[in-house]
Amino acid sequence: MAVVDRSSRVGGLSVKRLTRGWSSAYSDPIRNIDWILISAMSALAVIGVFTVYSATHLRLIDQGFDPFTYTQRQVIFLIIAAGAISLVMWLGHDWLRAQAALAYGVVILGLVLVPVFGAVTGGARLAIDFGPVSLQPAEFAKPVVILLVAAYVADAAQDEVDWHHFVMSLIGVIVPVMFLLIQPDLGSASVVIAGFTGLMYAANARRRYLLLIAAMTAGSITVSIAAVPRLGYQLRRFDAWLNQNSFDPDLQQVVLQVRFAKRAVSTGGFSGQGYLDGPLTNGKYIPVQFTDFPFSAIGEQFGMIGGLVVLSLFGVVLWRIWAIARAGRDRFSRLLGTAIFCMMLWQTFQNIGMALGVTPVSGIPLPFISYGGSHLLGSAILMGLVQSIAMRRRL
Amino acid sequence: MIVLGVVAAVMFSGLSTRMWYMQAVQADDNLAIVEAVQTRSIRVMPERGRIFDAKGRILADNKRVLVVAIDRNYLRNEDDRTELFRRLSGPLQMTMDQLEARLDDERYGPLEFLPLKDGVSEELALYLEERWEDYPGIVVQESWRRVYPYGALASHVVGYLGAILKENLAFYRALGYEPNERVGSYGVEQFYQTELRGQPGVRVFRVNAQGRVVGEAKEAGSDAQPGNDIQLSIDLDIQLFAEQALETQLMLRRRVEGGIQRLPDGTPDPANPDPVLFKAPAGSVVVLNHDTGQVIAMASYPRFDLRWFTSGISSKKFAEIFPPTDDPDLSVLVNRAVSGRYNLGSSFKPLVAYAALNTGQLAGGADYEFLDRGTYKLESIPNYRCREGVKCVFRNSLCPATATPCRYGTVNVESALAVSSDTFFYKIGEQILTERGYQPILEQEVRAFGLGSPTFIDLPNEYAGTIPNKALKRRLADLGVIAEDAGRAYYVGDQILFSIGQGLLSATPMQMAVAYGAFANGGRVLMPSVATVVLTPNTPDVEPGVADLDEAEIAVGPVVTNEDDRIRLEPRFDLLQGELLRFSDLPPTNLVNMEPTVRDPIVRGLQRVINGPGVDYDYYHKATGEILFRSYPYEKLPIAGKTGTAQGFGNLPWNDSSVFGAFSLDPEQPYTVFAYLEKSGYGSQAAAPVAKCIYLALAREYRLDPVTVAEPLNLASTTPAPPLTMRNPLCLAGVRTEGRD
Repeated sequence: MAVVDRSSRVGGLSVKRLTRGWSSAYSDPIRNIDWILISAMSALAVIGVFTVYSATHLRLIDQGFDPFTYTQRQVIFLIIAAGAISLVMWLGHDWLRAQAALAYGVVILGLVLVPVFGAVTGGARLAIDFGPVSLQPAEFAKPVVILLVAAYVADAAQDEVDWHHFVMSLIGVIVPVMFLLIQPDLGSASVVIAGFTGLMYAANARRRYLLLIAAMTAGSITVSIAAVPRLGYQLRRFDAWLNQNSFDPDLQQVVLQVRFAKRAVSTGGFSGQGYLDGPLTNGKYIPVQFTDFPFSAIGEQFGMIGGLVVLSLFGVVLWRIWAIARAGRDRFSRLLGTAIFCMMLWQTFQNIGMALGVTPVSGIPLPFISYGGSHLLGSAILMGLVQSIAMRRRL
Repeated sequence: MIVLGVVAAVMFSGLSTRMWYMQAVQADDNLAIVEAVQTRSIRVMPERGRIFDAKGRILADNKRVLVVAIDRNYLRNEDDRTELFRRLSGPLQMTMDQLEARLDDERYGPLEFLPLKDGVSEELALYLEERWEDYPGIVVQESWRRVYPYGALASHVVGYLGAILKENLAFYRALGYEPNERVGSYGVEQFYQTELRGQPGVRVFRVNAQGRVVGEAKEAGSDAQPGNDIQLSIDLDIQLFAEQALETQLMLRRRVEGGIQRLPDGTPDPANPDPVLFKAPAGSVVVLNHDTGQVIAMASYPRFDLRWFTSGISSKKFAEIFPPTDDPDLSVLVNRAVSGRYNLGSSFKPLVAYAALNTGQLAGGADYEFLDRGTYKLESIPNYRCREGVKCVFRNSLCPATATPCRYGTVNVESALAVSSDTFFYKIGEQILTERGYQPILEQEVRAFGLGSPTFIDLPNEYAGTIPNKALKRRLADLGVIAEDAGRAYYVGDQILFSIGQGLLSATPMQMAVAYGAFANGGRVLMPSVATVVLTPNTPDVEPGVADLDEAEIAVGPVVTNEDDRIRLEPRFDLLQGELLRFSDLPPTNLVNMEPTVRDPIVRGLQRVINGPGVDYDYYHKATGEILFRSYPYEKLPIAGKTGTAQGFGNLPWNDSSVFGAFSLDPEQPYTVFAYLEKSGYGSQAAAPVAKCIYLALAREYRLDPVTVAEPLNLASTTPAPPLTMRNPLCLAGVRTEGRD
C-alpha cells in the first residue's frame, strides 16, 4: 500500500493502473523518467517546428495557403506524439509486450492495404488516407515488429539465440520488410533491419546469423529491385548517390536534390545565413526538404553551430537510449532498448547523411524534426518504450 | 553494447567531420555557385547620349520603348514553347516562324531573357502582364530606341547604329560589350561610341529552383549610367542650306548638255547625234571654321534618311533602298566630304603656287613673270626625245572664242591663278622638279598642308588621299592600276599633271578645306572636328527638341578653341583604326609658312578669281569667277577662291567634275568652303555657285529655308531620302564661263 501512497503524490497519472502487478522491489516508475532524454527530444522537436516553418512558409505562400499550415499541423502532431509517449510510458513495455502479436497483425494488415488504398507520393504508395489524416503503417511497423521479435526472443529464456528462434524471428521481420519493399519504402525497411540486427546482436546471436542478415538484406534488395518495377525509383537514388555529379537525365531530379541540399549545408558556413534567410531553402530548391532534408535547412540557416547542436542533441538522445537499454530490467527490456537504439541511430545517421551526401536518398525522416504525423507518432512510440524501460529499470 | 556505442560514436564523428568539411572548406566555393544559380541578371541598357547641333537642336534622341522578352527557361520544352508561341503570335502580331527564328538568333545570349518584340504599346504590355499565367516567363522590359528627328539632315555626319559585325566582335567584347548590343556604325554615332554609350546597369533577380523570379536583389544591381551628350559644331541652318544648294545644283546640272559624242578623229559621231547631259550623280560641300577647325556644315549627296536604320524594315527592303553597287557614283552610305577620292583640278594650283614661292623657286617671287602662249614645251626633255614620241608639249584648255588653247600672255602668280593658266603651272611644276635635282619638293610642300594623310577628323572611314610620287606609282603598277612601264619611275610628265591637280593626285574635300583654311588663318593646318564638346548626361531641354546648352556641363575637356590648340576630345573612337585613338597619338597641328611674300600673291590671285580683273591678251580673259561673283556682296564677306575642273574618264567633257574652294578674308567670319560636284562641268559652272550661295547665307545676305523636323518616314518609299530643293535657287544663277577652269 505504500506504493499507492507514494504514487498518489504524483497526482495526475492513474497511479493505480501504472502500478498494477508491480512488485514493491521497484521504486516508483514516475521517478525514473529520464528527463535528459525528454529534454533533448523536446529541444529537437522545437528545432523541428522552426525548421519546418522555414522550409515551408514560402512554398505555402506561393501556393496561396497560410504560411503556418504545416507548422501548425506539426505542432498538433507533436502534441499527439507527446500524448502517445505518455500513453506508452503509462501502459509500459511489458503490457505492450503482451499485445505485440495483435499489433503485429494490425500492422501487417495495414501494410497489405497500403498498395491497395494508399495515396501515391513521390512514386511510392506509403500511406493510407483517412480523410484529414493519412497514416503510414510503415512507421508503426518499426516499433511493433521490434516489440514482437524482442518478446519472442526474450521468451526463449536463453542467453544465446538458437537457430530455431533466429529463423522464426527472421520470418517475423521478413514479412513486413517484404511489404515495405513492395511499397516501396526501402528506408523504413532498412530501419527495421537495423533494429533487428541490433536486437540479434544484443541477443548474442552468432556471428554467422548476423552475416546471414546482411547477406539476406543485400539479396532482398537486389531481388526486389529486379522484381518490383516501382523500385526503379529507389534504385535511381542509389545510382545518384554513387554518381553525385551525374548528367544522366534520369538521375537529375535526385542528383539536383542532393546537390542543392549539400550546397545549402555548405553555404551555411560557420554560423549560418540566419533564420529564414537561407537562399536555397527560401528558393525552394530542395524538393520535400521539410520531410526528407530538414538538416539541409538547419545547416544553411544555422551553419556549423546549428548543425553541431542538432548532432549533439541526437548524441544525447542516443546516449540516453544506450544507457537505458544497458540498464534494462530484464532481457526483453535490454533487447528492445538496443533495437530501438540501433533504429534511431540508423535513422538519424541515414537522414543527416543524405543532406551531407554520404548516404543515399531514402525518404527516411529525421526523428523529432522532420514534418510528418506518422513518423512522429512512430518515434513517440519508440521513445515511449525507451522511457518505459527506464522507468521500470533495475535499480 | 559498448561496441554499439562505439559504432554510434564513429558514425556521428563521421557526420560531424563531413559537415565541418562542407561548411568550413567548401563553403566559399558553394556560396559563389549558389549566388550564380539563384540569381538572374538582366542588363539594363543605359540611355544613349544625345547629339545636338551647334544651337542645341537634337539630332539624335532616344525614345523609351517597351520590349517583350521571355525567360528562356520557359522555352526549353518544345511542346510548351510551341504552345506559348502560338498564344503569343496573336498579341505580338508575329508568325510562329518569326518567333522561332528569334530563338536561334545568335545576338541574344543563352543566359539572357530573349527579346521577342520591341516597341510594343503600353496596352499590349499591360495585356501580357495581366495574363502572366497564360504567358509564363514573359517579362516586359523598358529599353531605348534611337530617334533621329531630322531624318536625312546631316545624316552622313550623325551616323547610325547597327549590330556588332562579326569581325568587330572581339574588339567590342574586350571593351565589355554584349554581342547583341547595337553600336554606332557610322558617323559621330560610331566615332564617339564610347562617349555616347554610357554604362549598362544590372538588375539582379532572385529566382527559385523553377527559374521563376521571386524578387529583386536591389543591393546587388546597379543603375545604368546614361551616355554623354555630344554637341556638334554643325549648324543645322547652314547644313540644310548646304544640302539644299548641293542637291538643287546637281539636279540643275543634270539638265545641262556636257557635249556631243565624237569619233576618234574629232568629228561628231553621226550615230549618236544627241548631246550628252551631265550625270551630276553626287557631290559634297564642306563649310569649315578655319579658325577653330570646327565643321559648320558638311553635305554629301546622295543623301539618306537615318530613320531607315531604326524602322525595322526587312533586309530585302533595305537592299532595295540601299542597293549594293560597285559604281562609286551611286553609293549612298559614303560621306564624300571625308571619303571622296577626288581629283582636284585647278583648285590645287594655290598649293603649287605656294610650293614655288615658299621654296624660292620663283625668281622675284610675286613679280616673277612668264609668257603664256597657250602651249608649253618641256624644257628638261631634249628635242630628240620629243621626236621619239615622248610627250613634251602641254596645252592650256581651249578658249571657245578662238577654238585654240587660250593664250594669257605675260602672267605672274597672281594673274595665273585668276585666269587659271595651266602653262604657268606647268612651267613652275617642271622647274621645281628639274632645278632641284629631281627631289620631291612639291610633294613635301603639299604634304605640309595635310594632303596625303588623314585630317584626323572625328568621323570614321576617312580617306587619306594620294600624292603622286615614285612609291605611289610603283604601288599602283603592282596593283595593276597603271601600266607596268608607267610604274617604273616618277617622270616629268607626272609632275606636270601633278602641278595642275590632275594625274594621280587625290584628296577629300575635307582635306582641301583644311588646306585652303591654312591660307586664311596664318598657316595653321587644322585638325577639323564635327564635335565641339562632350557634355555630361541628361542635358536639359530648353524646349522640346532643343537642348539647353547654357545648362550643359562639359564632361570631357579641356575643350580649347584658342589659336594654338585644337579641340581636345579623348578617347577618340575609330573602328577604321581598330583601336581607341588617344589625343596624344594624333599628329600636332602643322604650321606652314605664311609670311606675306609667300601668302599675299596667292591670296591676291584668289581674290582676283572672285573679283577680277582677268588678263588682256588677244582679248580680255575674265577671271574664272568674275561673272559668277559679279553680284556678290564682297564687302559683307570678302572671300578668295579658286575654281577647278577635274578631268574624268577619257577626258570627256561630261565627265568633268566641278570643284571650288574658297576662304573668307574676314577674321570675324572665318569660313572656308569647299564644294565638289562630280561629273557636273567646270568649276565655275557647278561648284562655285554652290559655294557662293553658302557664303551669301553665311553673310546673312540670303533668306534660308527654316529648319524643321522631318516629315514621318514614308515606309513605302524606295529611295534613301526624299528630294530636297531650295525654295529659292536664285543664288545658283549667273553662270557663264569661258572655258575649263
